[in-house]
Amino acid sequence: MKKLKNLTKQSEFYVFIIIVVLSIIIQARSGLFFANNNIVDTVRSMIVPSIYALCALLSFVSTGPDVSFPLIAALSTYLALITTNALGMGESMVIVFVFAIVYGSIMGALNGIIIVKYKFPSLIVTLGTSSIFSGILLGAFEAERMDLPAGLQRMGKASLLSVKNAETGLGSTLPMTFLILVALYVITYLVLNYTMVGRGVYAVGGDEVSAERAGFNVKKIRFGVFTANGAIAAIGGVCYAVMSMRYLPTEYAGGEMIVIAAIVLGGTRMAGGVGTLKGCILGTLLLTMVSNSLILIGISVYWQKVFIGAIIIIGTAVSALQSYGASRVKSKVKEAA
Amino acid sequence: MMAKIKKIDANILRLIMILIVFLIIACVTQPTNFMKADNFRSMAKQMTEYGLMALGVGVCMISGGIDLSCVYIANLSGITAGLMMQSMSTTSSGSGYILLSVLVAILVGAACGIFNGFLISYLRIPAMLATLGSYQLFMGISIVISNGSTVSGIPEGYTMWGTTLLAGIPFAFVVFLICIILLSLIMSKTRFGQKVYLVGTNAKAAKFAGIKNNSVLIRSYMISGILSAIAGLLSLARINSAKADFGSSYTMQTILIVVLGGVNPDGGFGSIPGIAIAVVILQLLSSYLNMFPNISNYYRDLIWGVALIAVLILNFVTNKRKQARLAKAS
Repeated sequence: MKKLKNLTKQSEFYVFIIIVVLSIIIQARSGLFFANNNIVDTVRSMIVPSIYALCALLSFVSTGPDVSFPLIAALSTYLALITTNALGMGESMVIVFVFAIVYGSIMGALNGIIIVKYKFPSLIVTLGTSSIFSGILLGAFEAERMDLPAGLQRMGKASLLSVKNAETGLGSTLPMTFLILVALYVITYLVLNYTMVGRGVYAVGGDEVSAERAGFNVKKIRFGVFTANGAIAAIGGVCYAVMSMRYLPTEYAGGEMIVIAAIVLGGTRMAGGVGTLKGCILGTLLLTMVSNSLILIGISVYWQKVFIGAIIIIGTAVSALQSYGASRVKSKVKEAA
Repeated sequence: MMAKIKKIDANILRLIMILIVFLIIACVTQPTNFMKADNFRSMAKQMTEYGLMALGVGVCMISGGIDLSCVYIANLSGITAGLMMQSMSTTSSGSGYILLSVLVAILVGAACGIFNGFLISYLRIPAMLATLGSYQLFMGISIVISNGSTVSGIPEGYTMWGTTLLAGIPFAFVVFLICIILLSLIMSKTRFGQKVYLVGTNAKAAKFAGIKNNSVLIRSYMISGILSAIAGLLSLARINSAKADFGSSYTMQTILIVVLGGVNPDGGFGSIPGIAIAVVILQLLSSYLNMFPNISNYYRDLIWGVALIAVLILNFVTNKRKQARLAKAS
């Protein structure tokens, strides 16, 4: 019973219920939601946003919003591709990822240095750096769409799972990048929950002063988070290129707001210190479902943004009121005692 | 209080100096192209739209929040006015219906702002998230009412305001100037303005001082909504059409201008004239770069990003020095 009570306190639980209800409605109206190809399609379109969601989660839990990950992804992928092409190492896909991670970490570290050293709001800093990265990518390099090296192309063509819907004849494949997603989540889960550094990420976001007194190095942890964010964003960027079979420099920007909305719906607290990977996945799933499946129940595409906006507002309002209510109860308890 | 006035003045002085230095550089390097009345006129028109939105974002940031939805409020208001004019231009004559459409559009903007303010004050959603959600909503509504296409066919009685000159100055710029003056007076001379600064500095203290925080916040966001609506109306007159996703890049630009103008992102500090000068500096910079055809437009992103972070660091260093001096003096 107590477990159930705890469950209803989490926003993840409500998101889960909304997802179930929505999927039943879509299934009832169209009969296509639980079709194998639709499920694989939904998972497929969740891969890149879920990777980005990790960046958003880490930065929110420890410091504040990070909006630079789409452009870090775009620029590091571009740099990795031209480096591998120049070195003639296009045969190996691992090399591209390694280069991208290195470049991404450097860009993330730049964010980290500015945020940690001057204690500026991370939103403003990352807005500034993403503008810089976009200037470098499209202005200095004049990046254009380009084909992938052989290694990545092979990766893009390979598939883990290929399904075909017997009724509609529509097929769908699950790309190899899904494995990368799973690996990233497992690693992040282990680091966040079973290492000192991981607990430090939560501690720093919860209360900076207490974390420092408890012996955590606040500056190092924040710097580390933003560097890691750069690396994760870079992996997401290469995955995006692999899945679209081509590098498209202008397609990256603009995804950040939806990702942030997804993780906040999943229960990540804006003020820091609270947020789970479970919530990341559920929030991303909900928004992916809304943008992919509204068509299935006959709602015109025009209404998509209205729905997404309404879901964000209602979801955040619920969690904001919840946390406000919790703080009021706490202060009442204090007064009584 | 004295120290605060001095601080704002120092910031404006610095901005004016940057402006003058920049003008001199522009005069020396591009005397024929840059120093032309035509060039200044087109700059005045261009800066009006994002300038108005930046003023709105500035008020919100002074109150301790942020408004990411201003571009989409502008588009929604522009589309509303455009659709009303389109449908009424066939049946009615005279200019009464144009005035009506303009009024309705401004009301739409005010309503959007009040909605934002309601989310932020009563529902306690962090300003960034609330406006993040509401911008999707406003954009969605714009797409729905315009069927996702561009609204055009605006009657000439309205679009002529896009080309009207008053004493050689574009009409839009005159509107911008009036808004700057009015808003400066509101923020510096009225009780409401003082309350906005107080709420931005310390919301809890403001509450205990007897200020109704919720109503102050709602009114700040309403101002931002109204200014965005005016921006939307002016852009409707200038480009003769309105679209749901027009000017998406302005969001970043408005925040940049506001920070450049000396507003503290944490709230409580900053001034309207500072923002206005920052608007002028940014427009001069981008028009100046346009004089060089071989410099790609995308370089602007790079320069703005660097400028934003450089200004932040500069403000940080000067503040620190000032604090050190004050500590020594005491």
